[in-house]
Amino acid sequence: MGEFIYKSRYYVLGLLVLALATVPLWGTEYIVLFCLLFCLYLALSQMWNLLIGYSGLLSLGQQAFIGLAGYTVAVMCNYYGVYIWLSVFFGGVLSVLLALFMSLFIFRMKWVYFGIGTWIFAESMLLWFSNWKYVKYGVGFFIKPTTPVTMNDLFYASLIIGVGSVLLVYGLLRSKLGLGLMAMRDDEEVSETMGVKVFRSKLYCFLIAAFVTGVSAGVLYVFQVFIQPYKAFAIDWTVILVFIVVIGGIGTIEGPIVGAFIYVLLSQWLSEYVSVSMLILGAIAIAVILLAPKGIMGTLQERLGFEILSPRRR
Amino acid sequence: MEDLAQPILNGILLGGLYAVIAIGLSTMFGIVKLVNLAHGDLMILSSFLSLVLVSWLGISPFWTLLIVVPAMYFIGYFIQGFLLNRVLGKELEPPLIVAFGLSIIIQNLLLLIFTPDARSLMTSLAIKTIPVGKSLNIPAIYLVDFLAGSVVIFCLYYFFQKTYMGRAIRAASDDEVAAQIMGVNTKNIYAKAMGIAMMTAGVAGVLVGTTFTFYPHTGPQYLITAFGVIVIAGFGSMRGAFVGGLILALAQTLGAQFFGPGYQLLCGYVVLLIVLAVRPQGLFGTV
Repeated sequence: MGEFIYKSRYYVLGLLVLALATVPLWGTEYIVLFCLLFCLYLALSQMWNLLIGYSGLLSLGQQAFIGLAGYTVAVMCNYYGVYIWLSVFFGGVLSVLLALFMSLFIFRMKWVYFGIGTWIFAESMLLWFSNWKYVKYGVGFFIKPTTPVTMNDLFYASLIIGVGSVLLVYGLLRSKLGLGLMAMRDDEEVSETMGVKVFRSKLYCFLIAAFVTGVSAGVLYVFQVFIQPYKAFAIDWTVILVFIVVIGGIGTIEGPIVGAFIYVLLSQWLSEYVSVSMLILGAIAIAVILLAPKGIMGTLQERLGFEILSPRRR
Repeated sequence: MEDLAQPILNGILLGGLYAVIAIGLSTMFGIVKLVNLAHGDLMILSSFLSLVLVSWLGISPFWTLLIVVPAMYFIGYFIQGFLLNRVLGKELEPPLIVAFGLSIIIQNLLLLIFTPDARSLMTSLAIKTIPVGKSLNIPAIYLVDFLAGSVVIFCLYYFFQKTYMGRAIRAASDDEVAAQIMGVNTKNIYAKAMGIAMMTAGVAGVLVGTTFTFYPHTGPQYLITAFGVIVIAGFGSMRGAFVGGLILALAQTLGAQFFGPGYQLLCGYVVLLIVLAVRPQGLFGTV
């Protein structure tokens, strides 16, 4: 069965993407909204997966990029009347610059220290933004695009980002950099002796993840309209990403796809009871780690050889 | 100089409280190499436990320690025994993620039961101050925090250095295999260690509750405080926890003095990041 799926995988994937792309034609408004959120969370979690699953970087501070990008969009639109998609792009660029600045401090740290460092950075941004007059302190913004943005525009933007993020990670892992990353993940010291530039590879991943996270967050905030520091820089973002990736399977490309689907489904279903859905997510994540530590897709791969997007070279 | 004396005094006293917040996290890292991301939430859980007891029995929050601290021992024992022990040792991610999941579960359970309102444990000490000299005032509750924190850390130090149980825990952490060969049930030892760490968190929770207001969502904030103390001190160093607490608290109170209260926490984080960048292993740590 695994072999059959492997051979016909491009058709299956093509059909899936086609189905997604034509959603506005056949789906109801609710389905479009669902797919939009799914694509954006897919991109965000795919980037966290790239960091933890392939580069060994435990980032607990993705919300720093999410908040910064959201605020970039808000400030550029509201204060300077910049074209909306251009400001979304700039949100990504500024996230990369922030990631570069962060790397000066935190790239000497290892593992948990790295996580704490990124988290403290995000918390500092929260405090700074909520004390900063230019961004109206903690009051927040209503993002007002200069040109009207329709639901379809938003949907296709998130579709490009969502599908793009999967292709990006796939392409990255099939490249020379990806080979180095996987060698690094298996044994950092040996791979360094074999000529893998560990520091530089990790930095590239961190920067790429910052850019995609920033752009996705920009679109998400154009969709959500309202931005506030306490929400934008909250640790809740990282909590969601951790759960999506853990449930789907750390270090698999398909994992975040499944995880993001489950998360969006659950959060929409229980949208009136946010704390209940977070409770359930927490319980599922613990259960998955105890029973099937590789997540849903990781376990399927192990048991059935079920791989759709394999970075493995055959 | 006159203006600085008060924030420095407050900072020193607050440092004792921060040290006791951090000591449980530091102990668990030292013994099991576990970073308990639910530490802050478990601490806030004990604040709420104390709140419930206060409103039930109408006693002073300090008396609730008699029930909260043993209760926290059992909570810690069960968390380690039934959840964390099962994922220890394989890789680094699983225990982290289980603790992270626990943190979210505790936060949202508290939110469902107690609503997001601000709470505090009222004592008669909260508004009292002890005047020293002309312009200095010692807030009574800060003094209690400092003294209680010192006592907890001294007891913990004594426990690990001098008692049989404490030595057994350290032995199990030094060489797990050797301890197992000698017939020590290391998993059980770890569960007990977590119970003890949670007893310190119980004390910290009640102290924090009497000193500041707390919400179901304040756990992560104290987790970062605890991390800050430990990162400055170096993981697993008990002596360092006190110094780390002092540095972090002083950075905050002096920062508030110079830049305004809104920047209090931010100044603490900036000092932390500088320490991390210059000395990633902490001031007292060895890597």
